[in-house]
Amino acid sequence: MQVKSILLAGGTLLAASSAAQASGFQVGLSGQKNVGMGGTGTGLFLDHAAQFYNPGSFVFVQGNGIQGGLNLAIPRISFRADGGGAQETLQNKNVFPFNGYAGFGITEKFKVGVGVYTPFGSELHYGSGWTGRYALTDINLRSVFAQATASYAITPKLGIGAGLVVLAYGDVDLQRDVPLQAQSGGQFHAQLTGKAERKLGYNVGILYKPSDMFSIGASYRSAVDAQVKGGNITLTNRPASAASSFTATNFDVTLPLPDVYNLGVGIHPTEKLTIALDANLVRWSRYQSLDFSYTGGVLGGAGVTSSSSTRRYQDALAFRLGAQYKVGNNLTLRGGAFYDNSCVRDGYVTPETPDADRVGLTAGFTYAVGEHFGIDGSFLYESFMQRSQSQADLIANGTTDRVAGTYKTTISVPGVGVYFKF
Amino acid sequence: MTTPLSSVKNLRPALTLLGLGLGAGLAGCQTDIAEPTTAVSGNASFTRYIAIGNSLTAGYADNGLYLEGQQNSYPSMLAQQFAQAGGGAFNQPLFTTAQASGSGYLRLVSITAAGPVTATVPGSAGRISPTSAPYTKYLSQVDNLGVPGIRMADIQTANYGNVQQASPSAATFNPYFERITPDGSNQSYFQRVKAEAATASFFSFWLGNNDVLGYATSGGSAQNASNTNLATPPPNTITRTDSFNTKATRMINALTANGAKGVISNIPDVTGIPFFTTVGPVLKATLTSRSVPGLVILTGGNPGAAATGNRKQITTSDIRDASGGRQLFTLTSSPFVSLIGQPTGRPWKFIYSQTGLPAAGFGSYLAAFAIDTTKQFGASADNPIPSAFVLDDVEQGLVATATTAYNTSLLNIATAKGLAFFDANQYFRTVATSGIASNAVNNNAAFITGNLFSLDGVHPTPRGYALVANEIIRAINARYGATVRPLDANRYRGVLLP
Repeated sequence: MQVKSILLAGGTLLAASSAAQASGFQVGLSGQKNVGMGGTGTGLFLDHAAQFYNPGSFVFVQGNGIQGGLNLAIPRISFRADGGGAQETLQNKNVFPFNGYAGFGITEKFKVGVGVYTPFGSELHYGSGWTGRYALTDINLRSVFAQATASYAITPKLGIGAGLVVLAYGDVDLQRDVPLQAQSGGQFHAQLTGKAERKLGYNVGILYKPSDMFSIGASYRSAVDAQVKGGNITLTNRPASAASSFTATNFDVTLPLPDVYNLGVGIHPTEKLTIALDANLVRWSRYQSLDFSYTGGVLGGAGVTSSSSTRRYQDALAFRLGAQYKVGNNLTLRGGAFYDNSCVRDGYVTPETPDADRVGLTAGFTYAVGEHFGIDGSFLYESFMQRSQSQADLIANGTTDRVAGTYKTTISVPGVGVYFKF
Repeated sequence: MTTPLSSVKNLRPALTLLGLGLGAGLAGCQTDIAEPTTAVSGNASFTRYIAIGNSLTAGYADNGLYLEGQQNSYPSMLAQQFAQAGGGAFNQPLFTTAQASGSGYLRLVSITAAGPVTATVPGSAGRISPTSAPYTKYLSQVDNLGVPGIRMADIQTANYGNVQQASPSAATFNPYFERITPDGSNQSYFQRVKAEAATASFFSFWLGNNDVLGYATSGGSAQNASNTNLATPPPNTITRTDSFNTKATRMINALTANGAKGVISNIPDVTGIPFFTTVGPVLKATLTSRSVPGLVILTGGNPGAAATGNRKQITTSDIRDASGGRQLFTLTSSPFVSLIGQPTGRPWKFIYSQTGLPAAGFGSYLAAFAIDTTKQFGASADNPIPSAFVLDDVEQGLVATATTAYNTSLLNIATAKGLAFFDANQYFRTVATSGIASNAVNNNAAFITGNLFSLDGVHPTPRGYALVANEIIRAINARYGATVRPLDANRYRGVLLP
């Protein structure tokens, strides 16, 4: 007798917030100065992180330089099950999104650079025995992208640029309890781990600055499919009588990462003050379902070699506002705010991405230690709207592979960066 | 260019600013989700809750009543949730830890290619028939009055818990009721409930399943199934609907006499439970693969040879599985269907042993039904499949008619009295067709793997009872404007796998 269709079907997987800015599991921490200004950066140029935000503006960044930033994302997530019960909290785990860039001016009109950053990632560990343990207990999704950029100033007012982007490293670790109970008492648990294939993408951008007081830019970042082939399935405490239903050893999965359209303006009313406005359209609608296929056997019953879980993400808009003010010769202060629409529809929220509309506030500074060296500091606080879904919602949407209840998340992200100019 | 030393000095204000940022971040406190509305009882009051019913109410599972099942009875779960809304203590007649295996029950030994293998854990608490040793009495206050085996037909039977009566039989005496009844008392179940109702503020009522279930699980094999004995109909027959209505009305009148509020649950469609849906589909596939066109079964309970019309021809394609068909094979037939086509008397020995008659009478029993065990089992009219193994289409019709009539009666009573009503019939239909999810777990009506039904294929698992409790809570909340909270059903087990 085969133990039929016991989940892992309807899988879970890949993805989650934990790090800040931009809906879904996108991480908007790719430049410390930009973070301080609410995540803006499309309509102006602040430093070599322009390679990421708008390669068209990169050419206008002065001089050669190298810079690096490290963030500490501290998520706080709570959950309360549908109908009440005690509030459950996560074993809060901090993650460290980072970024680094180098840029070189070949001529006045031509500039090249390289960069490395972590635009997507998530790490969540739900408490042992939590209500949604059969959907997800742990997720650790990491990705590192590298980029080579060239930027060219067609006129002193108009710059264009493009970058070749590679998903240089990615790995995933997903865990959940399997809803079969053993007489021996141990909880049947499944863990899926794997490394992502290298994938190529690109970004392009354009910046136009008709005057010293105003600039406008647009950029686009292509979609990349993060693909794991032959990841490992580890099963623990599998009941002996269910052994023949859980024999798979490996899995393949593809996680579609969205493409992003950015539009931004930069305003410089005085020499000391800069104001930036950005709008982002993140094309999460690419992510309709999460499909696993299993090899080396079956997972969940006779003939079960795949699973599919509905995501039905929608495109998400974000609006950002930031400003910086040069206080003195050495010190620049920044502030910003953003509003980010959720890519997850009502009734589709999963434990791996407890997403919701978010508002964020940021602050930052740069302290220049002389002409060639400086330090950037940033702080971001982000609050997700409290979000609920009932079992009736899940049934109506065919999404009963996740858990009904209320999520509330906040994230604090202090960050620090250093730069050298030469 | 500045020297390294001065760099460090100049860095100090920056580090201070950074420190402030970090400090603020690390101090970020845990998010809080406000408690949902406080649980309240609305127009109802849960000060003293009593549960009226049969095995389902007692917490019966795995073909027995034992401590773990009692602890996971749905009334116990309800009381636990009521407690958050002003509910009082709830006393169940629990078996002691020394007698935890109660009446005895089934456990799962292994799952083989041929199917699940179960074994009986022997009982430790006393009798399962009037002639064996009695259960240890439980005479403290009882709020869970669930009595396994009781029918609506039985509620006014005097001496129902008194083995001293003239000739105790399964139709007139119940060892579980005996357990909670003082020695020598001639009390009927109705009298006991009436006495308890005097101090109760809330009740649940789920009685009447056995008035049709016994007939169904015995494959409609009782003699004279359409009985006329209103007072004590024989076991495994269908209770007359007029009798059912009269007794149900009387009971609810007694329960509501002091103004108590309550919830009535109706009778599920028994043909969707694993007891009837597990063997047939496998058998159908086997017969189809061997090109066996059909089988001969005995139907009804009347003795006689084939000429009396008690044999019935069923086609293989008419055995019910997901693709269609009508005939249902019982879980009890499981060890014997592999004998189809062989000359064998084993199924008949099993059937005869179930009657409790002396072994010497086996020969005349076979003769009465004109059974020749040298003929091919199931293929010959001389060795048909026993009636008790098949609930055929005609029998299902009788079950359905009675169930519908009972449910009309229960709904009318609930409406007249303004009581909450849990449509268990509708609920279990949904379970049978599409399952029911609980926090990312897909539970369904499949045997063993569906999480909802215990090893007897009839009674729920603790998970199954928890989901039933949630439905009852929903009905109570809707009727009385209460906000009793549901349970996390996943905290209760399904079938434990070896």
